[in-house]
Order: sequence, then structure tokens, then C-alpha cells
Amino acid sequence: MRAFEYREPDNLEEVLSLLHDHGEDAKIIAGGTALVIMLNQRLIMPSYLISLRKLAGLNSVDSADGALQLGALVTHREMETSPVIRDQIPVLAETFRQVATLRIRNMATVGGTLAHADPSQDSPVTLMALDARVGLSSSGGSREVPLDEFFTDYYETVLQPDELLTHVQVPLPKPHTGSIYLKFLPKTEDDYATVGVAASVEIEPSSQLCRECRIVLGGVAPTPLRVKEAEALLSGQKLAPELLHKAASVVQEHTDPISDSRGAADYKREMAGVCVRRALEQAWQRALTESP
Amino acid sequence: MSYGKIGQPLGRIEGPAKVTGEAKYTADVLLPGMIWGKVLRSPLPHAKIVSIDTQEAEQMPGILAVLTAKDLPDLLTGRLVYDMPVLAIDRVRFIGEKVAVVAAEDPDMAEDALASIDVEYEEMPAVFDAHEAMKSEAPLLHPDYRSYAHAPQKFFSDIPNVHSHVTWKLGDIDKGFALAKRVFEHTFNTPAVHQGYIEPHASVVAIDPDGRVNVWISNKMPVRARELLADVIEIPEERIVVHLAQIGADFGGKGSLMDAPLCYHLAKRTGRPVKMVMTYTEELMAGNPRHPTSIFLRTGVTEEGQIVARQAKVVFNSGAYAAFKPVPFVNIPGAKDAAGVYGTPHIRIDAYSVYANCVPSGHFRAPGDLQVNFAVESSMDMIAEDLGLDRLEFRKQNLLKDGDWVPGGPQLEEVRVAETLAAAVKASSWNQPKSQPNRGLGLAVSHRLIGTGEANTQLTLEEDGTIQVLTPVPEVGTGAHTILQQIVAETLFLSLDQVRVETASEIFKTDSGSGASRVTYVGGQVVQQAAGELMKLILAAGAKGLGCAENEVVFEGGRVVHSESDGSLSLAEVAKMGGDGKSALRVKKSLNLSEGPPMTTFTAQVVELEVDPETGQIRLLDVVTAHDVGTIINPLGHQGQIEGGLLQGVGFGLIEELRMEDGQVSTLNLGDYKLPNIRDIPPLTTVLVEEELGPAPFHGKAIGESSITPTGAAIANAVYDAVGVRFHDLPITAEKVYWALQQHSGGEG
Repeated sequence: MRAFEYREPDNLEEVLSLLHDHGEDAKIIAGGTALVIMLNQRLIMPSYLISLRKLAGLNSVDSADGALQLGALVTHREMETSPVIRDQIPVLAETFRQVATLRIRNMATVGGTLAHADPSQDSPVTLMALDARVGLSSSGGSREVPLDEFFTDYYETVLQPDELLTHVQVPLPKPHTGSIYLKFLPKTEDDYATVGVAASVEIEPSSQLCRECRIVLGGVAPTPLRVKEAEALLSGQKLAPELLHKAASVVQEHTDPISDSRGAADYKREMAGVCVRRALEQAWQRALTESP
Repeated sequence: MSYGKIGQPLGRIEGPAKVTGEAKYTADVLLPGMIWGKVLRSPLPHAKIVSIDTQEAEQMPGILAVLTAKDLPDLLTGRLVYDMPVLAIDRVRFIGEKVAVVAAEDPDMAEDALASIDVEYEEMPAVFDAHEAMKSEAPLLHPDYRSYAHAPQKFFSDIPNVHSHVTWKLGDIDKGFALAKRVFEHTFNTPAVHQGYIEPHASVVAIDPDGRVNVWISNKMPVRARELLADVIEIPEERIVVHLAQIGADFGGKGSLMDAPLCYHLAKRTGRPVKMVMTYTEELMAGNPRHPTSIFLRTGVTEEGQIVARQAKVVFNSGAYAAFKPVPFVNIPGAKDAAGVYGTPHIRIDAYSVYANCVPSGHFRAPGDLQVNFAVESSMDMIAEDLGLDRLEFRKQNLLKDGDWVPGGPQLEEVRVAETLAAAVKASSWNQPKSQPNRGLGLAVSHRLIGTGEANTQLTLEEDGTIQVLTPVPEVGTGAHTILQQIVAETLFLSLDQVRVETASEIFKTDSGSGASRVTYVGGQVVQQAAGELMKLILAAGAKGLGCAENEVVFEGGRVVHSESDGSLSLAEVAKMGGDGKSALRVKKSLNLSEGPPMTTFTAQVVELEVDPETGQIRLLDVVTAHDVGTIINPLGHQGQIEGGLLQGVGFGLIEELRMEDGQVSTLNLGDYKLPNIRDIPPLTTVLVEEELGPAPFHGKAIGESSITPTGAAIANAVYDAVGVRFHDLPITAEKVYWALQQHSGGEG
């Protein structure tokens, strides 16, 4: 680790002003679970580290206007255990529960995992499938970006050097919607996903046909991968094995995995198909049980 | 037999300090003025060093010294054969070899300086596979091998790069195959795997003004470490003190000097204490992992299914140096078990340890045993199937019996393999009808001879009436110190808190340290004998104090009692009187066991698992491990050894692999090099087949390297039972299973 200047501002204005002055040479640290490893490995060598430890107001989970508003500093553990989240968007709690170990979840934050933009992370995949938006602030103003448009490449996002990710907005699922996150861990239970799939299926209760669905994958592309072509195949259709196979093979065509210790590229592509099929089926079943 | 302290399920003596963070490891050692060392490692697998320019690095802020081989004595080192330079001399032989070392005020400055050292290399042809290295056209890594100190002449070979060729024989192999009706040939391969200890290697050296060299080192054999260090830094052993810190697990991998010689040279150059702590990336790149191994088996079987001949050729990829192998033949002892637990009249085993341009391999819990057992037990299933025999019955028919010989071992007595196997089968669902498709059962059996060697202790009756037990064996996390405490307390009829186990290396000359499951056996005996002798001294001193004859006193309720007069003395009172009225009551004792007992210990495991045919993922449903045990000294520690070993066996079978491409390790952190996690632990049933019949004190047997061995083979056999695919290579990853199933189903899927 190289030496850096450490700042601990206690208000958002100061954070943003520090980012304004030093953005290019600065890194934000919240839980530090990803950043400290990168610092130790000298993958990044910032001159300034701006800690959010003393910042108040970014660590609450609020439900309003048909959406959950998540502060960027809400921890993974809080996401996993929050009664509001468990009640209103259970798949979110389920996803965060599958991240790493309890020690990590106690530290890692929602904003951190999104800004880190590692395509193997679990929660960005689910959040994207849930149509989440992120709030970004700089001293010049604020903007909202759909998560769909947030990630640009491996470890890269649309966040500008002077911007801070302050919150995440997740719309509450519509009635008759089933969602699932499937984390495929073929080696050990404590690992990044070889493939992660979040699927969300909304059905027409009377006909049981799919009204709308979202399919997002992790670990198989430079960013979380939403496959709209596969989603389109499903809308207006009935749950059937052939349909799922068709959707799966469309998804496979869109994947662009790399070979690493979690699997060779061709294996990951095959598994993306299997996992998408399974995720869609389970999400669909959940949607059906949601509907009386 | 019932005991007081033996058989108690006890927590570790050092446990509270470890869980509260008070325990001091080598990396915790902090000395006034201490500085840090970091090494520059070779990026090439085989190259001549043309030049090294350290000028720029030397002038960087905070840099106190930069050393290369030319600053060091021209000496080699190793645990037995001295074939490894402290810093590369003229040539590098693996990616990760140490080329230069920097000392700086802090580790980050040292790291920065490394980037400024300019090394010019001239690449040489490299060889990575052991079989390739044995070919005549292969580049020779060590042309001068035969001249190295302690190179084992008796095991030299004319095959290129083979630095040790050991043969074990029983009967007459040609005669054996002549008796055979069927002959089977099978080949298996296993990869390099890292020991996975939590504490990476660390060393600290501080040189006193009078020249005494103080060393702190993550090393499980401190007495041997002092000897080796003395040779390579050219300082007499008497001038070196090895201070014992806690060791954050060893699993066989902590027997070398690692960076201690470099710490010494930096300390000498700078006049400051020097600390070096490897990162885990350095551990994975340049530690001393389990040998990648290839095992060829040729088996002769009679018409009746009797194994009459076993030929084995075991090739260990030693990596660039043999320096991490401690045994006199500089090979891997596990090869000798290539006939498994089966009474085979004609055996010939050839073990080749071969240099190649990879990370040097070393010892890892049950060295060689796992690799060879995977081959032997897989082949048992394959042969049984081919002969149309039931795989359990085929094994039973061939099991070792009393009076059988094992290669490299004694003529066996008290063979309890049939009972152990039966117990494992009984506790499993072996005899139940197959429940579901894609589920399977596999079994494997292993044995292990107990380790021999030298152990030392010094017992002192202290003035407060407690017993101090000094041992040169550091606690590597096995619970050894707790066991020694129990043995002494039991022998002297004292409570546990009256016995304190402390470490000291400087008062002992030679010692084998911790390894080969020997501590309870050899170390236990030496403290037991010393305790017996101390008791005699106590009684003699007590009798003298009470003014009576030695045969008139007894030791009762913690006191020396003269039964006739009812006079008695406490231990503290006896201690104050001393042996001859002045000196403390003390017994210093050494025990060197070169021959093991005529018995071995058996392990039988049954694994039940399920394969997901769509993904290839394997889920362990149930594991039964049965052990042939004697008196269990500490049931808590005993079970810990069983469970820990088994989980490492699961890692070996399913998960772990130090992936290498052209000598370059690609799994360079613990995010990529995956170890089994607590959530990967399968449902486990342990069966103890007990009989008070072991060679260790109070009739105990070894356990430390038992449960790890058969797991890989049991898994492979269960996978075959589940989906009909036979794996000859470990680990059996989901990916391998998936593609094999695709092929198996004719590529339909």
C-alpha cells in the first residue's frame, strides 16, 4: 500500500467538495472490503482517501412512493436482515445474504458494491433485475441513472471523478411478480459466482402468461448483463420447457465470459444457459404462488 | 483401563491466548529499530542472470540495503540436501525464485524499491512436466546435483533431472506377474496443492552487540532450523538462539528456513533487527506445495481375484529445488504405500523425484499418501468391475492380515483393517438399495505407519511445587502441548494446572520437531519416561527430608508420605529441599526411535454424493470416516484432527489446485486458490474402532495424518457410482464432470 492522505468529513458537502478538488486522485472508502485489497495489491494508488465513516444520513432504508430508498452506506448485513426489505422485496435480502461471509457483510455497503462495479458481484445483478436507479451527487448537482445504464466495463461506471453515489432507489415489485437470484457456486460455498442470474417475472394472473420479465446475469460479461432479447421472447408466453430452452440459448449468445479459476469461458456460457432456465422457472413459480 | 487426565476432552492450553489475540506469532514480534525486508522474484522460469543493477533502488528514500547473491557467501541450503541458493546465483530456475532483497524502514518503501532493481536475464529452455524433464533432450536444472552437500548417493539416477530414485520391493515382481491371470494398468495424476495455513511464513532476526543471533521463525523444527541456519550463515550453532513463537498452522509446510537467512544478512548489513513476512501471493507462488504427482500402477490378479503383483511408478514433480524435502532419501515417503491396504506378495515400487522449472514442492500432511491412495483405491474399483466382482468383496478378499509385510515397513501385528472397513460400511448406507439417480457411494481405505524420530524434554520440579515441562516442539495448532501436559499430569498423579508446558530450543542439541504424526508417540514417550524418573527423584528427596528410607514413602494426594509416621511433605517443600540439598529436581531426557512399532493404523471412508447432471456439480450428502484407534488421549483434539484432515481431503478431491501454466502459478490469492470453507463441510459420521492397543503412551495411536488420505479416492469412486464417469485426475471439478458427461452421453446434451 502506498501512503495517502486520509480525510474523514462529517457532511456530504465537504465530501463533494473534496471530490471536486481531488476527484482524479481520490478514492472514496466506505466498508473498504474491496478497496483495501486493491490498495494492498497496488492496483490503485490514490493520493487521497475520503472516508464516509463519519457521514450521517446515508445509512437508512426507507419505503416511500412505491419504492425503497436505500442509503449508499447501508451494509450488506442490514440489507439481509432489514424487516422492511424482507417484507417488501425478499429477493433483495436473499441476494445480499449470499454475498461472501458475515464478516464481509457487516462492512460492505450497497453503494460500495455498485461503485466497485465488479461484474462477479451478486447484488448489482438483482438490483438491475429489479429496475433500480442510483442517485449520484457532485458539488455541481445531482442526477439519477437507471442501473441499466450505470455500468460501462470491468470495474467502470458512469460515475465521474467528482461524483458520489448517494442512494439507490428500488421500485416495489408489481403484484403477481416473482423474483429470484441464483448463485451458481460449483467449487466452494464461499466464492464469487461462476454465474449469477437474477430473474423477475410478472404474470397475468388469469391467463398465467408472462406479462413482463427481466433477466440479468453476473460473471459472464464485463458488466452485469441484461438480455432484453431473451426477455422479449417470454412476454405473452406461457411457462414451458421449450420456451425456457429458447430463452437460455439467446442468453448464451449474449454472454462474453472470461476463463478464470471459476471456470473456463465455454463452461460459464453453458452454465449461463442452465442457470437462466432454472432461474426463470423458479421466478415464474414464485409469481404463480403470489397469485391466488 | 481408566485414567484421570488421559481421555479427558480438553481445550487447548494455548487456546484462550489465541482467541483473545494475545498469542504472539513471528509476525507480531516488534523490536526497537526494526526494519523490513522484501524480495524481488524472478519473472522467468529458467534464465541466466546477466546483470543486476541495484543502484537506483539503493538511493531511494528509506532504503537501507539492497543485496544480491554476490553480497552473500556462496552457499546452498535445504532441509536435507543443500541445493537451493539463498538468492539466485547466476541463474533462476522457477518463477518466484528470490533474486534480490531490500531492507527499508517500512514494507511499502521496500516494495517500491523492488520495482527499481533492473535485472537482465537471458532465457533458457525450461521444462515444467516431470515426465518431460526425464527425457534425454530435457534441459538439466542441476547439472552438478551429485556434488551437493547431503545429496543421497544411494538414490542417484541416470535419468535426466531425477535427483532421487527410491525402490521398495517385496517378493519377486516377475514371479508375481507370472502368477497373474489378468494384468491391469492404470495412470493417475494429481496437482500441486498449498497447505493453506493461515499464517504465511515469517522471520525476524536481531543480532546482539556481542554477535549472538536471535531468530524468530515460523518453523516447526526449531532445533533443526538452528542447525541449518548455522550452516548457511556460517555462525556456530551455539551463537544462534531460536525463539519460539506461536505457529499459525503448519500442515507439513513449515520446516524450512524460508527467509531467515536473508533476515540475517540484512540485519548484519544494517545493524538493525529485520522482519520479513511473506504475502499470501508469495506463499502461493513460492511456498512449498504438495508435489504434483503421476502414479502408474500395474496390478496382477489371479482368476480368483487375488492380487499377486503390484508394480508402481510414482513420479513426483519436485519443482526447481529438492530443498524442502526433509527425509534422508530426498523423495516422498507416501510412495511406499502403492500397494494400499492389500496383502500383496510381490511388489515393486519406484519413486522418482524430478526437478522441473516449477515452484519447489514440499511436505504437506501425509506427503505422497493422498496421491498414491487416490490411484490405488480408484484402481481397486476399476479392477473389481472388470473382473465382475463386488468392489467391497474384492477389497475384503485382499486385505492385509497379521504377519503380512508392507513395503518400507515392518511385518505387521494387530492388523485391524477388516474391522475398520466393516465399521465404515455399517455406518453408511452401503447396503441400502440405491435411492435416486445420479447418487453414488464410494469407499476407500488407507493405512499409515506412525512416525519415528528424536524427541527431548526437560522436567523440573519448581519451588512452588509445579512441574515445568520444557519441549523444543512448538505448538503448530495440533494440540501437542495439551497432550504433553496430560501425559505428565497422568504419570505424576497431578492436576493439569500443576503442569506447565513451555518451549525452549536452546537447551537441546537435536530434535525432530513436529511432523509425521510423531509428537504424541515419540514426544509423549520422552515426557512420560522423564516424568517417571522425576517421580523417583521426588520420592528420594522426600524420604531424605522425612528421615526415612526411600522404600518407606509413597506419593499420595500430591504429597510424599511416610506411611508409618504419617509425616508428609508437599511438592513445594520437596522442591525447596532440592535433589542433593542444593540443585533443583530436574530430569533432562532424550529419546531417539529409529524403528517404528510393528503396527499401523487404518482409515476407511464411505462417501455418498449426488451429481447434478446439468451442471456437473457434486454435492456431498454423507461422509463416514472410520478409524482404528487406541486410547484416545484428548477426544476433543482427536476429533479435530479427524475433521480437519477430512476437510483437507475434500479440498484435494473436489476443489484445490495450484494452477500452473508454463511454470506460472495463476491462482495467486485466496480468492482464486479456493480452500474448503466451513459451509462446505459435509454431514459427517465418525466411527472409532477402539482397542487399547497402540504404541504411544497409554496405548494411543496416531491420528494427525489419517483422515485426509482416502477422501479423494472415495469421492472419485462415488462419482463413478453415481454417473459412470471415471476420473484419473484430481480435483474432480464440476466443470470436468460436466464435459465428461457431455462426452459420455455422446454429445447429445
